[in-house]
Amino acid sequence: MTEKTCPVAQLIQDLEQVLASGRLHDAKNHRRGEEILALLNDVAWGRAGREHLPAIRQLAEEMRQEGAADAGAESGGRILTALEDAAEVFQSHIETHNCATGACVRLAPAPCQMTCPAGIDVPTYVSLIGEGRDAEAIEVIRKDNPFPWVCGLVCTRPCEFMCVRGRIDKPVSIKFLKAFAAERALSWGQYKNPPKAPDTGQSVCVVGAGPGGMSAAYYLALKGYRVRVIEAQPSAGGMILLGIPRYRLPREVIDREVAMLQDLGVEFSFNTRLGQDVTLEDLQREGYAAYLMAIGAHKAYALGIPGEDNFPQVLDAIGFLRDVALGNRSVPGKKVVVIGGGNVAIDAARTSLRLGAESVILAYRRTRHEMPADEEEVEHAEEEGVEMRFLTIPEAVVGRDGRLEGLQCLRAELVAQAGSDRMRPVPVKGSDFVIEADAIIPAIGQQVDTACLAPLEGLSWTRRSTIDTSMISMETSIPGIFAVGDAVTGPATVIEAIGAGKRAAEGIDRYLSGIPQPKMPPVPVRRGRIDCHPLSANEKMTTKRPEMPLLNIDRRRTTFQQVELGYAEQDVRGEAGRCLRCDICLRCGKCVEICRDKMGVNALAMGYFDFDHPVETDFRLTAERCILCGACAANCPTGAMQIEDRNGERVLSLCGTVLNHEALTACAMCGKQMEPFRYLEYVRNRTKGIGKLIDNRPVCDACGRKTAAKTMQSES
Amino acid sequence: MVFRKGQKVELYRKSEDESWESYMDEFIGLHGIVTDPDTAINDPDALVEISLESKGTHRLPQDCLRPLD
Repeated sequence: MTEKTCPVAQLIQDLEQVLASGRLHDAKNHRRGEEILALLNDVAWGRAGREHLPAIRQLAEEMRQEGAADAGAESGGRILTALEDAAEVFQSHIETHNCATGACVRLAPAPCQMTCPAGIDVPTYVSLIGEGRDAEAIEVIRKDNPFPWVCGLVCTRPCEFMCVRGRIDKPVSIKFLKAFAAERALSWGQYKNPPKAPDTGQSVCVVGAGPGGMSAAYYLALKGYRVRVIEAQPSAGGMILLGIPRYRLPREVIDREVAMLQDLGVEFSFNTRLGQDVTLEDLQREGYAAYLMAIGAHKAYALGIPGEDNFPQVLDAIGFLRDVALGNRSVPGKKVVVIGGGNVAIDAARTSLRLGAESVILAYRRTRHEMPADEEEVEHAEEEGVEMRFLTIPEAVVGRDGRLEGLQCLRAELVAQAGSDRMRPVPVKGSDFVIEADAIIPAIGQQVDTACLAPLEGLSWTRRSTIDTSMISMETSIPGIFAVGDAVTGPATVIEAIGAGKRAAEGIDRYLSGIPQPKMPPVPVRRGRIDCHPLSANEKMTTKRPEMPLLNIDRRRTTFQQVELGYAEQDVRGEAGRCLRCDICLRCGKCVEICRDKMGVNALAMGYFDFDHPVETDFRLTAERCILCGACAANCPTGAMQIEDRNGERVLSLCGTVLNHEALTACAMCGKQMEPFRYLEYVRNRTKGIGKLIDNRPVCDACGRKTAAKTMQSES
Repeated sequence: MVFRKGQKVELYRKSEDESWESYMDEFIGLHGIVTDPDTAINDPDALVEISLESKGTHRLPQDCLRPLD
């Protein structure tokens, strides 16, 4: 069986073949076979319930026992074997409405959802937001991510990167839609926690209140566990609080979403550092059944250059950002140099400006092209006045009498390494120069501070100095101890930590319930199939992704007010309408093929269907050629393409986008409603050699027959 | 090999890296898109984030990947 084969789809195919072959000639067995096929189709189309699998098993068992007369016994046996071999897959189709292979076309997740490390059902919540159902959208998001507002402001949005709409113009602004819905739902008091499972009586201790630890805490609390989170800092948030400045993520946003966890009963112990304020033995005495280590990666890498340790004005970026986040608002220096090219470097530079630095230079050893920081963040930093110095390698920190004077640097050039296409910055000899500075902030990466976990004997570490963990269950080498977040992956994204937190909650639940851990990590789960919102092709094509309104530049340079002001409501609803609903249209291209190759019409300009070579897409062009024959809709495997007659018109739509509509014609003789004129003309052209009985007048079949009969009578 | 965001890749063999887990054997032969090339800054040793067809998004060592375009 190949990777792309779904056991459900395979069983349907096999059974269809058996039924078509006539080998089930016993009437009872044939009927059982047809019933099983109907039930299997329910499973494949997301319509099945709990009773489906037992019913299929019973029918198959009857076939096996009573099918000696024909192929019933053999078929029944095969069905039972398939159900047994792939029990989890069948169950998953029913419970999660998800077919990861995409073979059961109605249940295939969209690319945006597959790309999200937390597997959030993007098309479903975007559609709900489009309809103004913000609270329901938040409910959908929180099935996979308890922090929709935080992520709406700071997610690296891999979903948008894979958004199919980006092949036409620009990706749907998924991140900002999420932020809007979360803010609106909270503001209107509609942001609710789902009901908790009954108390299990077991307690879990989470070490670290970052996004990974808190996500696990949330899902564990929902499963009925008593959860205590211990946190070294005075507030919850971890790196999203300490590493992301307030102008990107206001503290209130974190506080409000953390409060939702507290409402669920999650207990937080702040100012409690493991190994210092509390030991593992202390925690063990409290009787926790499992532990989750989510300690993050807060230890800065050193530059390793002379003079680095000689001046107190050399501040590591993560420590600097942490101090600012916790209330220290003193300016690091008048002339600040930040070293690095990642998001932390950009945050440190923009924060320095806001604290009153007169000039901020960001020195990066490669070029703009190689900068790992988010492009938009870099742009914002430049707008605010941060100066970028590329191809700049720090050589030494220089100063006199304990006072920092600058950063001695070398110019670099990028040189290809032997056997690799990776360009390495190589210093240019004799190119030394000094950037004047009275504060230097290195931001060249962070690592896990392993000290607090040193007492954990037997804890396995990777060569990257991260906790060695199963990425399926997040179990470490010590039974009952799990780990998530940057402590496992090294510095990574918020959404990855959240995804891992949910996996850890599942892993801990299974561990404590004595259930074996799964063999594979979970694939994203569909959370619904929301009806498509009708929209004209014109609107679909011309609605532009809205620009995010920003705080004025003077305030951006001087205050920590939120820079991105958020979309207006009408922009949000309109933007949601740009979604192509890839949860329904899988871009298989059958509609295009039928229209072009079978009908010879070629009305569908769906260039975005081709992932590798997208060509022009224009939904408006369909109306120019389409004859409204419905062949595309009839051959659409997912119901994305629809044709229907309503209000005297025939309407063709793709996921709600009206591609063509034309008035139905009326029979010139009896007035009966018929196909649109263009379709009739198409049929007439194709059949003109057969007879010319209707004299180019639109008449229905019945009147045509009458006319033909009369004509024949008069001719005879 | 430098992996860039948006690059199409094939997971063509088992990795020698310690981060390889047995379940990843089932990923061999699958194609994917690089969604996050580095966790640190331009680190040839970093685990890269790949959105794998029909399997979701995973961090994988670089030595098991090869570009498709």
